[in-house]
Amino acid sequence: MLKVDVLRVVQDPEYADSLTEAHWHALAADPAWDELVGEFAELVAPVLARYGTKLGIPPPRPAIPSTPAQENPEEFRVLGKRVPRLHGLGVVTHLGQYTQNIRMPGMLYTRTLRSSVPHARIKRVDTKKAEEVRGVVAVLHRGNLPEEYRGVKLGSGPPERFLFNEEVFEVGAPIAVVAAESEHIADEAIQRIEVEYEVLLPTLDMMEGVRPSTPKQWDNKENGTIVAVTPPLLRGDPAAAQADVTIEAVLTKSTEQHLALELTNSLMYWDQDRLVVYYTTQHAHGCRAGLSQALKIPANRVRVIQTGYMGSGYGYRSGADLAEVHTAILARITGRPVRTTYTREEDFVTRTHRPEFRNEMKLGVNRDGTLSFGEFRVYANVGAQRAGAANGSWFIMQDLYRIPNLKLEAIDVFTNSYKSGPYRCVSHPNGTFAMELMMEKAASAIGMDPVEFRLRNINEEGNPDTKKPFSNPGIRECITACADRIAWKEKWHPPKTKEVRPGVFHGIGFAAHACSHGAGTNPATGQLIINTDGSVQCVSGSTEIGGGQRTQMLMIAAEALGVPLSSVSIAPYVDTDNTTDTGSTSGSRQTNTGGRGMYEAALDARRQILNHAAQKFVEDAQRKNEPFQVSPDQLDLRDGEIIVKAEPGRKLRLEAVMQSVGLPILGRAIYKQDSDWERTAWAAHAAEVEVDTATGSVRVTRYVAAHDVGRAINPFALEQQIEGGIIMALGAVFTEEMLIDQGTGLPLNPNMLDYRPLSIQDVPEQIDIILVERPKAYGVFGAHGIGEPPMAPPAPAVAAAVYNAVGVWMESMPLTREKLLAALKNVR
Amino acid sequence: MKSFELYEPTTVQEAVGILTKFGNRAKVLAGGSDLVAGVMKDWVEGEGMPLPDALVDLTTIPQLRGIRISPQGATIGALTTLTEIIESKDLKERFPLLTQATHSIASPLIRNYATLGGNLNQRPRCWFLRGREFNCYKKGGDSCFSVTGDNRYHAIIGGELCYIVHPSDTATALLALDARAKLAGPAGERTVPFDNYFISPREDVLRENILKPDEILLEVFIPAPSPGTRQAWTKLKNREVYEFAVVSVAVAFTTENDTWKDGRIVLGGVAPVPYRAAVVENQLKGKNIKNSIKQAAGVIRTVARPMSMNAYKVELTQNLLERTILEALA
Repeated sequence: MLKVDVLRVVQDPEYADSLTEAHWHALAADPAWDELVGEFAELVAPVLARYGTKLGIPPPRPAIPSTPAQENPEEFRVLGKRVPRLHGLGVVTHLGQYTQNIRMPGMLYTRTLRSSVPHARIKRVDTKKAEEVRGVVAVLHRGNLPEEYRGVKLGSGPPERFLFNEEVFEVGAPIAVVAAESEHIADEAIQRIEVEYEVLLPTLDMMEGVRPSTPKQWDNKENGTIVAVTPPLLRGDPAAAQADVTIEAVLTKSTEQHLALELTNSLMYWDQDRLVVYYTTQHAHGCRAGLSQALKIPANRVRVIQTGYMGSGYGYRSGADLAEVHTAILARITGRPVRTTYTREEDFVTRTHRPEFRNEMKLGVNRDGTLSFGEFRVYANVGAQRAGAANGSWFIMQDLYRIPNLKLEAIDVFTNSYKSGPYRCVSHPNGTFAMELMMEKAASAIGMDPVEFRLRNINEEGNPDTKKPFSNPGIRECITACADRIAWKEKWHPPKTKEVRPGVFHGIGFAAHACSHGAGTNPATGQLIINTDGSVQCVSGSTEIGGGQRTQMLMIAAEALGVPLSSVSIAPYVDTDNTTDTGSTSGSRQTNTGGRGMYEAALDARRQILNHAAQKFVEDAQRKNEPFQVSPDQLDLRDGEIIVKAEPGRKLRLEAVMQSVGLPILGRAIYKQDSDWERTAWAAHAAEVEVDTATGSVRVTRYVAAHDVGRAINPFALEQQIEGGIIMALGAVFTEEMLIDQGTGLPLNPNMLDYRPLSIQDVPEQIDIILVERPKAYGVFGAHGIGEPPMAPPAPAVAAAVYNAVGVWMESMPLTREKLLAALKNVR
Repeated sequence: MKSFELYEPTTVQEAVGILTKFGNRAKVLAGGSDLVAGVMKDWVEGEGMPLPDALVDLTTIPQLRGIRISPQGATIGALTTLTEIIESKDLKERFPLLTQATHSIASPLIRNYATLGGNLNQRPRCWFLRGREFNCYKKGGDSCFSVTGDNRYHAIIGGELCYIVHPSDTATALLALDARAKLAGPAGERTVPFDNYFISPREDVLRENILKPDEILLEVFIPAPSPGTRQAWTKLKNREVYEFAVVSVAVAFTTENDTWKDGRIVLGGVAPVPYRAAVVENQLKGKNIKNSIKQAAGVIRTVARPMSMNAYKVELTQNLLERTILEALA
């Protein structure tokens, strides 16, 4: 099969242009591409626009008026109910089967020796002493890697990422892997491996990587270690545009890590020529594709099982990483099951992160409250790999407000440091932080109420550049509902005017949000089995990662089919042997991806049932010598009963129909998403804080979040997702950032103690959630996904509240005590 | 983790015997929350900080655990858990400072295992010390990475050679309460006031207290405070649980008509040892506290020598000194 470098397609126009039809077909079928489309909508947008037909995407139809979905909420039987999580009991009791707890007889354990320098050439690896340790079964390294795997690399290049690099570009790059009888033995053995490094000059600082004088680390067309410069987006003439006031600021965000509670881990064994994999993954089929490509065996010879109980993922667990390939190879070499459990430090350092960002912002605003121009340049530190993250910040800058003259720039920079990747979104939180803080500054500069200022400027039409329309956008309602709930008009006051206790000031802040996540992608597939007893089984490749995805599949299936929730089941796990790929559980997309597949499969099954039922109605009548004719479209399936619409007394139980059929029914769907809409998540958040000027402590006393969810399928799960997102985001607002020592490039805080995720006691006492339901034409029952959007507004909302409290702009996240105290000093 | 031998002595003598045999290749084990789950798990080692070949479990010695109250004061066995200290009504009545300080440590889970002795004698949290690849002075290396590195949490007072801050909240409280430690070694027992228990990097950069490799902390004695002693505790944390002090203040003092009579002010999170702020005490002595507190707290600046990234801690210390002493008065 042809292999296409998915990232180069979007970062290198010449490369994209050189691809053949066959390449485009291969690309469209590659889960890595699907991952990029789902998580990095802004990155792939130009390619989709230009090569959409080659990728099999239907061209957008001309703007359709924004109409709500057809369903009548009054008639919903399952949707809108507060349904507890299917997996809830397994999660809270530990009865759930987590991958980390799975053991097999004869299982080996691995530990990896990793680079302790950020950039070096590995001169020599001596594993002799490790091999002598009793209980060590195999040691894998570059020197003894079986020939067939030497050319295998993951991700995009240059620089390349082989299974064991000779030139390592990051602290934590794998050098050797030990498989031993116990984790303890493996841990002791790696200490005895001797490595000789030829230390090379690293680039640790993002802005150093931009300089022309910075040494190149690969044959690079760009300056220094710049990976990609996105062609700028230009609207109107920002350079010539005039404004009453021009606001300029440099706004930065630091590197964050997910801190999923379950460590990344896998258990693998070979069943003759088939690899069986238990793995903490957000995308079982994506992991299967990754391993099949790396091991050079067909996809049907890799079986990936995700148990359905997983200590989260937040985006960094979609594919297979180097350690998973190492594990598969070690299982093959040793002929035994091999378990790999990352240490917490490995999970922190060697996996991906939300990258560091730098936003150079210039916004022109007129005293009447209109926006004149924006010039926004975003840098992203993508770490030690080829990746893209900067232009992911564009969405809100491009879409949320009416800015007649706009220039957007994006530069992705490689450093010998933490690699970037999805983290409950990737770049939207940065875009929202940068854009919304600029809006606050602008409102302040012209002396306008910031909520009023936003309402005056929001764009409710569609993408101003591609002209794709929004579907039933709820942004105005989000902003007004959120402002009303927190009593904005009564509580908002001039900065630094409300001292609640000596030295402690009250502040209130606001932020709006728009992003592309929650939209849904291809492939959207699903199957539904109606058993002969009338019970219903959902079969979906959509992995549960803790958000309640599979509970939602169940609700969608029950509603679409017309049966009670209690008669539908879904297995917690995903097994690639008996499911079809329905995309990764990332990009907030499973509602409109796996959910779409399930919805369409249910409709398919429903059609079949109604066909059989029509036949049975007629046959039953014939038996009674009753003259009766009915066609399937004259029937309805509700609450597990098939009713003749014109004669509601005439009905059949589903099981009666199924018994007469005598065979199970399989409903199935492979759905293609339309490309008609600028699919958008909308939100508005408001925060109240108390800032202690003596200690620099900021306490969030009240928080309100309004989200346009299209349709609330399960309000209970929605509220949990939004609340969880806010709390998680507050960690990055106040404490969380991955630090490195600038002298050595070594990580400083790769542990829970020093990284400081917030505790339950740091959570605001009151978080109010408002669900705005504006059904979307493209959504399953009108729904739009929710997982990631709540992560973005807390940073600008809190920064605005801090400004309102004490009159200082916090332009760099996290908003730490030391930064706040320093800022306060400057205004005194 | 490196393999080790585990010993489970039932008497202090037996424990000291094992320690004497191993020298600095053995360590005593109490709750294990730092030694095992931190230092050993993460291979924090160097020539000056060898990982132990043997662990001597002290939890198997019953006499080391428990709280005894007498008119003279309180005696707390070194193996008493932090939860037991928090739950003691007697201690809370007499030494609310200790109760509060203990309650501010880590989390309920840790406090159920962690012991007073372990908390007092734990190794510092400096991220260079804890990072395997940084071969710093404390591990027998020849540099301190905090001098040019990220030192936002490091010492602002008394740093020299090494700029750790002492991690123990109970140490800060006990020093303010004028407590003393009883130790056992091959030569028998000895009692040392906490004034002399902690040692600075200048005296010995490889350790933080006077305990010799073959010595064990047996118990802590806190003298009954003079009637009317005011006590207060403040610990500034960057999050509410699992957090060491950015700055902490422990005060215990007596007053006469709102003037400072006698007492102690001890700071945590600012120096390699729990730091007795004698400069501030001297400023307050015999003076009306409310009138002179602002000026007295400001004197901390005269002894502070902040590093490149931690000047904010000087300001915090000054503000918290003022706040804590006024709170004790209220």
